[in-house]
Amino acid sequence: MPTILLVEDNEMNRDMLSRRLQRKGYTVIAAHDGEQGHLLACSKSPDLILMDISLPMMNGWEVTRLLKSNESTKHIPIIALTAHAMVTDREKAFEAGCDDYDTKPIEFSRLSEKIENFLLAKKLS
Amino acid sequence: MNFHNLSIKRKLTLITMLTSSAALVLSALSFLIYDLVSFRHLLIQDLRTQAEIIGYNSAGAMEFKDVPAATATLTALTAKEDIVAAVLYSVDGKEFAHYSRTNDAFPKVLPPLSQDQGYRFDGGYLQVFHDVTLNGEHLGTLFLQSDMRQWSVRAKRYGGILCVFVLISGTFALFVSSKLQRLISRPILHLEDSMREVSVKKNYEVRATKSYGDEIGRLIDGFNTMLSEIQHRDGALRSANDELKTRTLELEKEILHRRQTQEELLTAKHTAEEASRAKSTFLANMSHELRTPLNAIIGYSEMLDEEARESGCSENVEDLRKIQSAGKHLLSLINDVLDLSKIEAGKMGLHLEDFEVLPLIDEIVTTVQPAAAKNGNEIKLHVSENVGFMRADITKVRQILFNLLSNACKFTDHGTITVDVDQNDRDGYMRFCVSDTGIGISEKQQQNLFFEFSQADASIARKYGGTGLGLAITHRFVQLMRGQISVESEPGKGSIFTVQLPTQVALDNTKLARAVAANEGETSPAGSKIYQDTILVIDDDASVRDLMSRSLTKSGFRVVVASNGEEGLRLAKQENPLVITLDVVMPEFDGWSVLKKLKNDPALTDIPVIIVTIVDNEPMGLDLGAASYLVKPVDRDRLAVLVERYRMAHSASVNRPHSAPSVSGAKKPKRLSELKSIGDLDHADDLVGRR
Repeated sequence: MPTILLVEDNEMNRDMLSRRLQRKGYTVIAAHDGEQGHLLACSKSPDLILMDISLPMMNGWEVTRLLKSNESTKHIPIIALTAHAMVTDREKAFEAGCDDYDTKPIEFSRLSEKIENFLLAKKLS
Repeated sequence: MNFHNLSIKRKLTLITMLTSSAALVLSALSFLIYDLVSFRHLLIQDLRTQAEIIGYNSAGAMEFKDVPAATATLTALTAKEDIVAAVLYSVDGKEFAHYSRTNDAFPKVLPPLSQDQGYRFDGGYLQVFHDVTLNGEHLGTLFLQSDMRQWSVRAKRYGGILCVFVLISGTFALFVSSKLQRLISRPILHLEDSMREVSVKKNYEVRATKSYGDEIGRLIDGFNTMLSEIQHRDGALRSANDELKTRTLELEKEILHRRQTQEELLTAKHTAEEASRAKSTFLANMSHELRTPLNAIIGYSEMLDEEARESGCSENVEDLRKIQSAGKHLLSLINDVLDLSKIEAGKMGLHLEDFEVLPLIDEIVTTVQPAAAKNGNEIKLHVSENVGFMRADITKVRQILFNLLSNACKFTDHGTITVDVDQNDRDGYMRFCVSDTGIGISEKQQQNLFFEFSQADASIARKYGGTGLGLAITHRFVQLMRGQISVESEPGKGSIFTVQLPTQVALDNTKLARAVAANEGETSPAGSKIYQDTILVIDDDASVRDLMSRSLTKSGFRVVVASNGEEGLRLAKQENPLVITLDVVMPEFDGWSVLKKLKNDPALTDIPVIIVTIVDNEPMGLDLGAASYLVKPVDRDRLAVLVERYRMAHSASVNRPHSAPSVSGAKKPKRLSELKSIGDLDHADDLVGRR
């Protein structure tokens, strides 16, 4: 079963999203801040990371940059989840090295489609 | 002292004095002369009579040559004081007898006499000659000499009297004239005093008093008339001056008042602008904060919905759906408010991309199909054959069409909704036309249709829901892409919304604005021009230069390349590019030095520099002022995204306020700042809060 790392500080959203992902059949590891997210990504090497951006300790952009500059983690696809539906956020996400980005509130069907696409691509390669 | 400078008083006295004295002296002199002349005649007459008597008496003595008798006769003259000598001459002219008072010398021989007169004046003496005859016989000549003592005494006395008289009468004349000169001098002096008072004290109320009806009196009259004239004019001048002062004061007050008002207005304007900005920021933040709990609401309700359906507990499904639908509605409202606040804050940008129009239309129609079916509406689609690709912000085009279509579905009951799409190759515009057979919009309602929070009718909000933001946002999006939106409608029959968008939406608003301005008033606007921004690529590796320029040219940029730092700096100044990409490892002049130079030049410091290098030292690049940092091998897509971003930022800063395209069928849209009032925003909060 593919493992998804969910980095999200809001407890309700974290709980809701991880439960929905689990219901889809994914194994979900959750982190509640940037540092923990970075640690878990390095130690558990998940198949995909859902990265909230406004995080305590270390924000999503920084975590993404760190992971993308690390040889052992740079291959993991990262989908940024941002509540700022601003133009600059989209650019920032790509600039930081995110592979995709989605806005909150999550439209779950759209998000799960994105996740499936990434996992499929990974499997194929 | 000069006579001319004497006072009038003195002059008059002097003139009178001189005149009277001269007359007096002249008359006295002529009297004296007359008197002296007649007295001398008298003296001559007297002396001749004396001579006649003496001659007669001494004739006998002469006859008889009796000298003593003759001398005695002559001596009788002693009684006559003034006769100083008497001589009797014989016929032969020799002295016969003589008499001398003081033994003075007398002529021994008869002097030649003047026959006519018988007398003469000689050396202050009067001399008389008289023939002595007896019985007609000439016996000799009598000579008498007088010293005219009486005459000189008389003359002296007369002279003295005259002097005294002249003195006395002169003094009297002085007294009289000094009294009488006042007749003339007093009014003149009075006039002078009045004049001095006028000229020194500027007192025009002074009047000279007229004493007599003579010339001076008339002069005073004239002077007084002149004074009253001056006084009148002075008064008029003063009152005019006062009025002028009052007016000036009033004007100054007015100016001050206006200046204050102006300042107040300016402050009010700034406050209002500040408030508007704060409002927009607040709305953006609020919307963002509202999304987070909403995220949970929608997510959990969806999850519960799924779970309920899977476990077969269908009794809760309906209620969960209601929560979901309410949550989504709230989300759409928040999105609308956020969109508007972004537009207001000038943060709404465009992501231009090339896309095919037909699939987009199909997608939107599919999306609104459920809404159409809900009211029993049928959607008809007419897309012309020439419709192909366009370059625009696909998200916004989607939202524009979605808004129009969902409105059409919402306000039409069991009718037909038609979507017409065609492309005008001539003017470069794509035309989207959404028509329905719904309730329609009245003429009056059409006027406010595209403004925020103004649904056609308050009752509509109750019946159909919605915030009234949909068309306003649609309108703004169309404006952002330099398009036009218009409406035609008749109540009860339906509405036709037409949107025209350039097939090639450009970001360079200045050029486009010019094209639009040039075509203003024409029915078909000119097509947009594709504007090419320049990108300067500085890299010593020819293959990298080639690759980058190919990739960027494909993205629609003009690319200028430089093979070393120096050339790069020169081209940067010359081309003023939109963005510079800079390699770090270069011979002679490395990328860091080029970057420093670029950032130190005020003309170039604003050009964003993207470092493209194999050296992984992003902090240093950012410290030196680079805008972005890419590590080779370059990801072409990332580069494109970055450059596009700078292009957008640039165009936004070049032309922030958009000139609104004309909207037929609706009132010309006002400026954003004018539309927004605090009431509107409060209303928005209410709407969000109530739902």
